[in-house]
Amino acid sequence: MENKEGTMTGKSAALLLTDKIFPLLVAVACAAIFAGTHMYVVHGVGAFNEIFVVQMLDEGLNGGDFAAAAGFATGFLIARVLEGPLVGLLDIGGSLMTGVGIGIPAMMLAAGFTGPINNFPLALLTGGIIGLIIGIVIILVRKLMPEGISASGTGVMMGAGNATGRFLGPLIILSAIQYGIPSGLGAIIGAAIFYKLDRHIAGGAILGAMILAGLVQMFV
Amino acid sequence: MISIIIKSLIIGALGGGAIAAGAARMFHTPKYQSMGAFRTLGELNACEGDPIAHYSFGLGFLFNAAAAVVASGALTQDVLHRVVPNFAAGTLLLGGKKAENTMHDPGKMMVTGALSGAIVVTFLNTLASAIPESLSVIAQEILSPASSMMMKTVMPIIFWMAALDAGKITGIWGTVLGGLAQMIMGNAVPGIVLGILIGQTVEEKGYNQSVKVMITIVVIMFITIAYFRGFFAKLGL
Repeated sequence: MENKEGTMTGKSAALLLTDKIFPLLVAVACAAIFAGTHMYVVHGVGAFNEIFVVQMLDEGLNGGDFAAAAGFATGFLIARVLEGPLVGLLDIGGSLMTGVGIGIPAMMLAAGFTGPINNFPLALLTGGIIGLIIGIVIILVRKLMPEGISASGTGVMMGAGNATGRFLGPLIILSAIQYGIPSGLGAIIGAAIFYKLDRHIAGGAILGAMILAGLVQMFV
Repeated sequence: MISIIIKSLIIGALGGGAIAAGAARMFHTPKYQSMGAFRTLGELNACEGDPIAHYSFGLGFLFNAAAAVVASGALTQDVLHRVVPNFAAGTLLLGGKKAENTMHDPGKMMVTGALSGAIVVTFLNTLASAIPESLSVIAQEILSPASSMMMKTVMPIIFWMAALDAGKITGIWGTVLGGLAQMIMGNAVPGIVLGILIGQTVEEKGYNQSVKVMITIVVIMFITIAYFRGFFAKLGL
């Protein structure tokens, strides 16, 4: 706080940059993300993650086997929490949105611990506590263990993770064709339009399939 | 519907505020610990100073998020990674202010971030719940097989190949832990992910303290999961 940056104005900025505030910021972010998962489980909308990651949680909600979601997401959480202090930047995608938003709820649900996910205030509180712990761990690791794990490991992992996202589009088109001719045609057209517009084709494929299959359902 | 709106406003304001403040801290990394993503930092810098650039960038990803939320109820990570930070920055920069005094200030970013977050999350969540039931059933029935193929075959292969391409030690760790994870958890990906992290660290720094800690955590995790999923019982132990 004492070494006020020349470019920075106001006391709030200096205070909000301290190490002490960091766990609080993580706590508030986690409260929101965990409550987002509550929204998804209760209202079917609002999880802060990519379609394929949320589908993993869905697999557990429908089939009762949360191992894939829990394993995948907590792997990311551990990796990112170890990496965050090393580079000075905590990746909120892997650590908070996937780890806290999907992995921890999956573990809780697998253990039959449904209260924190089904109850909104409890979800906020649970997320906040988890975030606070993560934030404190990161600041501690930053102070105690400057030589952490290799950053190139997370690089490899992220590369694979991003490649995975690209596969979803074609997979949805294949699945839409299997579902029916109208949905298949819709998916093809939607994906082509989204590709032309430089958007993720997964979104176009699923929207196209929904629209065309929905129209056919209405008139036939 | 009312409860979705109220909850969305709360979630959006909390998440947006914290994430935008964390994003402002990114401009002070590595001196201070921040949170966000390197790509977000790059993108914020790329349109620095121009509110229109920030708005249109965020709007592009808002469009993606809208498609995803209508189809599956998932908001995509981009809502917090890209849409909120860019809207928050754009709002602060209106009127030709300097980025150093606005976008780099966690306090100001927190205020506009909370505002943008509340609006964006509420908009997306209500948009999705306005979709008729029959349409979301179609989406669900198309998405389920696609994501199951993704999880059971595509993802393990992609991660496995990434591990094999990252050097001998990483390949071996990834293969062994991936195979064990498939056996114990029913999915190889978590094992391969951990194998990549351990392998890459060993390749660069040798078997140092943090690798040993990580291997211990992994072993305990595998044994615990194996126990609870009845793996040992299957072996007759």
